Amino acid sequence: MSSDSSFVTKDVASVFARQTLLDRDLVRQPDRPVVRLLPWLNVVTLGGRSIIDRGAETVVPIVDELRTAMPEHRMLILTGPGVRARHVLGVGLDLGLPTGVLAAMMSTEAEQNGRMIASLLAADGVSYLSHTTVAHQLAVHLSASRAAVSNGFPPYGVFEFPPAVGKIPPHRTDAGAFLLADAYGAKRTIYVKDVAGVHKGDPAHGEAELIPRVGAAELLAMKLETLPLDPIVLELMATAKHAKEIQIVSGLTPGNITKALAGEHVGTIISA
Amino acid sequence: MAVPETDGGGLQSLLMTRSLSDPALVAASGDAPDYAILPEVSVLKVGGQSVIDRGRAAVYPIVEELVEAKKSHQLMIGTGAGTRARHAYALAMELGLPTGVLTEVGAAVSGQNAEMLGYLMARHGVPVVGAAGVGVVALKVAECGAVIFAGMPPYDMWQHVPEEGVIPPYRTDAGCFLVAEVYGARQMIYVKDEDGLYTANPKTDKNATLIPDITVDELIELDLPDLVLERPVLELMRSARHVKSVQIINGLRPGTITRALEGERVGTIISAA
Repeated sequence: MSSDSSFVTKDVASVFARQTLLDRDLVRQPDRPVVRLLPWLNVVTLGGRSIIDRGAETVVPIVDELRTAMPEHRMLILTGPGVRARHVLGVGLDLGLPTGVLAAMMSTEAEQNGRMIASLLAADGVSYLSHTTVAHQLAVHLSASRAAVSNGFPPYGVFEFPPAVGKIPPHRTDAGAFLLADAYGAKRTIYVKDVAGVHKGDPAHGEAELIPRVGAAELLAMKLETLPLDPIVLELMATAKHAKEIQIVSGLTPGNITKALAGEHVGTIISA
Repeated sequence: MAVPETDGGGLQSLLMTRSLSDPALVAASGDAPDYAILPEVSVLKVGGQSVIDRGRAAVYPIVEELVEAKKSHQLMIGTGAGTRARHAYALAMELGLPTGVLTEVGAAVSGQNAEMLGYLMARHGVPVVGAAGVGVVALKVAECGAVIFAGMPPYDMWQHVPEEGVIPPYRTDAGCFLVAEVYGARQMIYVKDEDGLYTANPKTDKNATLIPDITVDELIELDLPDLVLERPVLELMRSARHVKSVQIINGLRPGTITRALEGERVGTIISAA
């Protein structure tokens, strides 16, 4: 024992006082439910490569659809970074920069896409919100307006985890949107991509069978060659408190986003 | 779009054609070089509950030791949170608040500790910085020999949810480790109030014995019910490309920090392999 009696710790009394917070028996939560902070929130994520990089032809009708949905649904619209993130990743990797720096660079691109989407909806009262604002003032923004736009990347930046293999930042748009939706206890988590959902096989290369509904663990175990969603989301679903179901829909089919917001099943629903 | 082609096009063409989760792309990204941004820096984490909450008796001698050490070492000093965070976590948990809210609350406490340490080291020219602001960090470390930062990672509402309960799994041990890793630091030293890692919590278990060195795999295998270091740090160490070992030392023993900075083993060394 190394603790010296001449050192007195000034404790604040609590059930965790003097604990390491690492004793599993002590941190286990007595059956206390976690509050849904924003139970009416819809988190709608627009893919960077899959949607935004396609340009006006794809983006304008989706923005129109989101605008039409606003009176009925309160939305946080999150954006992915797309091809520019691939470029900056390529440059950064070539320079030998660490994963945390690469994450910060990629995140900037997702932010720029968000600013563009928000600008298209500005006249409807929609603004781009920074990470800090999303974390602390989303409630007031979505009370003043029916929707807001932000960066799908989580604010990990230089604190991004080094991945088990390679150097590509593991927490990207899909993970960021999921973690945020779960923390807020959102009503729905919708990923808008350029495919109808999860397929057995690659829809880009011929016929592939759509999987309409699947469990996250089951989908992980299938080890499909391509997924329209970052697989880390499937892992995160295992511990989520609220986000027990997500839907992947094709934004290339008009009306899909509206239907998904209404709770209809139009793509692949993945459940925890 | 012009991209570097020093790899003969392999990685760069995968980057433009594959999903970012594609195994071939992920594997190819691992062949990229690793540039250490601040290779001379040593990152120290000063514990919240273990050191700062003890007040003057513990903190003043450590400040003196750090001031002396910064003459010959470049230091980034991260702070833990401690007893106020524990109180806030307990309260927030009782109120049914999610992990994201607890993360922000914990971050504020680690920020207070950074600020207080900053006031104590101000006369020695040591500033409190945001760990992510590389421009300031690099300049101040070079000019002043040391900087102080709040150890909690800025995950906020995006923090991972733990398997059980709502306490943020990635706290200040993880935050400081990731700072060391991203800057390619020389070493990561955890300044606590025990001589290192024990087989159990030495504060509550009289039979606890010190483990002088151990690998991450061995430690995970042991599956100790309690631990001196946040468990997720072990996983992060496995994946790290720069910081392959950390040392846990007792900052209440005078001279220990200085010796650890010199590369001596004075506590427990945990290594990735």
